[in-house]
Amino acid sequence: MSENKEHKKRDIFTEGPIDPSFIAQSIAKHATRHDIGAHGIFLGQVRADIRTRDGSINHAVTGIEYTAYRDMANEQMSIIRDEAFARWPITCLHVHHSQGVIKAGELCFFVFASSAHRQAAREAVAYVTDEVKQRLPIFGKEIMEDGEQVWKSAVLMGRGGGGGRGGGGGRRRRPDTMRSLREFP
Amino acid sequence: MEVLLFGVIAEKAGSDRLSISAPDTSSLMHALEQRIEGLSKLSYALAVDRKITRANLVLTGKEEVALLPPFAGG
Repeated sequence: MSENKEHKKRDIFTEGPIDPSFIAQSIAKHATRHDIGAHGIFLGQVRADIRTRDGSINHAVTGIEYTAYRDMANEQMSIIRDEAFARWPITCLHVHHSQGVIKAGELCFFVFASSAHRQAAREAVAYVTDEVKQRLPIFGKEIMEDGEQVWKSAVLMGRGGGGGRGGGGGRRRRPDTMRSLREFP
Repeated sequence: MEVLLFGVIAEKAGSDRLSISAPDTSSLMHALEQRIEGLSKLSYALAVDRKITRANLVLTGKEEVALLPPFAGG
């Protein structure tokens, strides 16, 4: 677990989009690790969703502006990292998330796990990807083609979990949100 | 104490931090809902020292307190 400790002070945030060449370089860096037999990768890309506003006018999302409570996000990330290392025999885990405006088509999220055999890397990447979305205080504002800006609310912290307040106004709440809220110490 | 504000909450408050004093988290939330217009209608969580808290915690004023709107990373 010495590798874990080394990772603890890491800052996962990068200003602007994640360059595909950075991903290629990250893979290349592992060429010297001959105990690795599998890499698992998840890449999040900003999607040009169409939003309906004012009744029937459709607007495309041109980008998302990400902000974060950086200290808490990095702390949560180190907890998730420890959980992944405890659960799967992975040799390393790298996570990067964008801050600032990321345009549709650009990459904003990169999860990369390596292991001797494929199952561990694959499962660890799926776990870390989901937990980051649920537990890291990252906020996103969708920027529409007409300049309008709308805050994203992918993960709502519901009143049932006790962490959230106020009326969700009938917006959907995913059951796994509750699960992850209970995991907050 | 200083309360850190994020996302839509910071936008509503017109600032990313707010100075306020309260003896515990419950009265802090009440005071914040008076100070930030529209906050009571939003979904949010309170983090004390970077951990989301549901219980009513006593505050000494030295804690790092933050108001967090829904998460949207990834």
